[in-house]
Amino acid sequence: MRLLQRALRRSTLPLAYSQGYNPRLRLNLALPLPLGVTANREYGELYLSEKIDPAQLISSLSAQLPAGLELLGVFEVSAESSSLAALVAAACYRAKLVDAKEKSLAVVQIERAVSKLMAAEELLMPRSGKKKKQISDINIRPYIFELRLDSGLRAVPEVVMLLKAGSDGGVSPFYLLQLLDACEPDCGSEARQWSVERESLYLISNGALIPLTEGA
Amino acid sequence: MVDSTLETILNKVQKPGRYVGNEWNSCLKEHDQVQLRMVLAFPDLYEVGMSNQGIKILYDSVNKDVDLLIERVFAPAADMEEQLRQEGYPLFALESGKPLNAFDIVGFSLQYELSYTNVLNMLDLAGIPIYSKQRGDNHPLIIGGGPCSFNPEPLAPFFDLFLLGEAEEALPLLLKEIIINKQNGLTREELLVQLSSRQGVYVPSFYNPLYSSGRFSGFEKLIEQAPDAIEKNYVADLDSAPYPTAPVVPYIQTAHDRAVVEIFRGCSRGCRFCQAGYIFKPVRRRSSEKIIETARDLIALTGYDEISLSSLSSSDYPGVDELINRLDEALAGKGVRCSLPSLRLDSYAVTLAEKLHQGRRSTLTFAPEAATERLRKVIGKRISEAEIYQALTAAVTAGWQGFKLYFMIGLPTEEDADVEAIVELCRELRQTFRRQGRHNIRFVISIATFVPKAHSPFQWEPQLSMPSVIRRQQLLIEKFRKMPWVEFSWHDAETSFLEAVFARGDRRLAPLLEKAWQLGCRFDGWSEHFSYSRWQKAFEALGINPEDYANRSYSYADPLPWDHLHCGVEKEALVKEHRLAFSVPAEQGSEG
Ligand code: SF4
Repeated sequence: MRLLQRALRRSTLPLAYSQGYNPRLRLNLALPLPLGVTANREYGELYLSEKIDPAQLISSLSAQLPAGLELLGVFEVSAESSSLAALVAAACYRAKLVDAKEKSLAVVQIERAVSKLMAAEELLMPRSGKKKKQISDINIRPYIFELRLDSGLRAVPEVVMLLKAGSDGGVSPFYLLQLLDACEPDCGSEARQWSVERESLYLISNGALIPLTEGA
Repeated sequence: MVDSTLETILNKVQKPGRYVGNEWNSCLKEHDQVQLRMVLAFPDLYEVGMSNQGIKILYDSVNKDVDLLIERVFAPAADMEEQLRQEGYPLFALESGKPLNAFDIVGFSLQYELSYTNVLNMLDLAGIPIYSKQRGDNHPLIIGGGPCSFNPEPLAPFFDLFLLGEAEEALPLLLKEIIINKQNGLTREELLVQLSSRQGVYVPSFYNPLYSSGRFSGFEKLIEQAPDAIEKNYVADLDSAPYPTAPVVPYIQTAHDRAVVEIFRGCSRGCRFCQAGYIFKPVRRRSSEKIIETARDLIALTGYDEISLSSLSSSDYPGVDELINRLDEALAGKGVRCSLPSLRLDSYAVTLAEKLHQGRRSTLTFAPEAATERLRKVIGKRISEAEIYQALTAAVTAGWQGFKLYFMIGLPTEEDADVEAIVELCRELRQTFRRQGRHNIRFVISIATFVPKAHSPFQWEPQLSMPSVIRRQQLLIEKFRKMPWVEFSWHDAETSFLEAVFARGDRRLAPLLEKAWQLGCRFDGWSEHFSYSRWQKAFEALGINPEDYANRSYSYADPLPWDHLHCGVEKEALVKEHRLAFSVPAEQGSEG
């Protein structure tokens, strides 16, 4: 984020700043990445102080981006439309097992754990309320839209999770992985190490989840 | 520039971002496209080194020359060192990933004494013999610069050459001369002889220290051509000196993550304990036109949202309020805020601070250093009690919510009463603020220990003995404990003691450094790494009594190990200042 802000400031774009003593760039990401999760693409929205051609934005900003970071697309939206952050409803993550020793065994165990979780009607997650002392449990089962083992021909077990996300609550992919591990307490003494990547974001449209793509 | 071994190594360390380089504005040149390759070594972590403006200035000034390249290397953290040693992977420069041995010059920036063990460690990790005499023609030349090169004796046997004073102009010229001499086929020794006649160049191996009855008694020159005294280099005109407008912008958070324009160099205040005030003389200003132009370029080329107008005492810049106005105009609409570090404690500074912060009023920082007017007179910090009250009440009226105040203990002529006065001052300030109706003013009090430094008027003074330092710290701890509205912190006495040992050390401390390093000393300036017991072992092993260095008081006639290194201030001037300090009458200052 800092990197992006600095690149924007270096560009000669007509940036808009927030009001106040400590003006900030008006740049928001659709859904900030949870700590420890990688992603190969991010969505965000940027406010400008004047209208410019999207192609110009691409060229000015791209010139300021370090190698390895690419601006994939720019779309103009009206300032009145609701923010990306408000639209995001779910995120799809792919978790890979790091350093798996007995891969075949892990696949079986994870498969079992996945079906166990999906079969459950209620999965309670303790959540600290606004006032620190209150702790309430929330049922996160409805937050899991999809959970499956996707190892296929790949030797390393991979789990795909489509989880509720966004401004009105969500669940961290790491919490689910913890639950998965907890399902089989006696398998593997050490906690499993996962590397998690966010694959895509989803919006809700007419009650259905649709992937957020360039141009949507 | 990451190969597969390095990739495995980086996967196992905590902050790989420290070692990968490739930041915005970093400069990658082909090694075979230039005539001479240098690596700038900073003996502390990346985050610390990348906050140092000197590093950025030299990086810019050397890389500007098409015949030269300069890369960077920082001290690897403990986890990285472990990995490097385990894999037998040599310490490498960030830009090209090449080992330090592949460079012609390794130049260390010597900012503080407590980084010395890291210097040895970095050489060793690079596979370079630590002693100058063990190195041959196929090793890089090891050079040093920065404030500590004004008394580099404890490091002398490890270095081939020191460059005294400001290097942004002198270093590229030195490197160019090395190119010519290498083309002429000079040996290492011949090269050093040749270079030793340049201004600011100190080749320690040409000077043999003499001792009589256990004390340093002077130098004997081993080579006729070597000068008797070495005069520092300094930049005559800041406006025409190179200054980076496109410094490297780190990806990882560093200590000072912002754009910096140096508005002037040197300090006219002349506080008697302060080495910087003397070695950076004379005071030179950058013109406001140049400052604004530089600031504009810096923001455009880095994307920072903060610009710091730096110097040793920024409110002393003539017309600084006008400068800020013009800067505001020049950067309007860019969402950039300005900051002014190192403010003098007076009402003018408060006005300036108010102008800059415009509503974001948290904590203002000042360094009164001593709490009684008498002691402030002794150390040459000329602020009266009345001024302090005036400035701080003005700040409170303007809406500031707290103060951070720096003090020093162990200053020459200091008594317990002077130390207790720090507590009194806080208490009375609080009373005053309460009468103003402000009940919740926060105080952050930070206490350092006086370290006598070479080239300052207090260079002859002893450091207060460690037990007395600890006793005075206890005194403060006891009192501040009962004042929960004060956040109180102090420097570790052992660390300051060690700093004092090296600040006025001689060449006999070199084997001690080696021993301490072998015993595992690293990052001695970091409390989590500092182990005094290891140092004690090293002192014992070499039969050195550290108190002979830290707590010794010298007479004017005593030869000092840094007498031959000239910072531009005559010894007589220091003597005069020293005498003045002790002519301050003993009674309390007027307002007590
Ligand atoms: S302590 Fe500060 S004000 Fe005093 S001489 Fe040093 S830099 Fe200048």
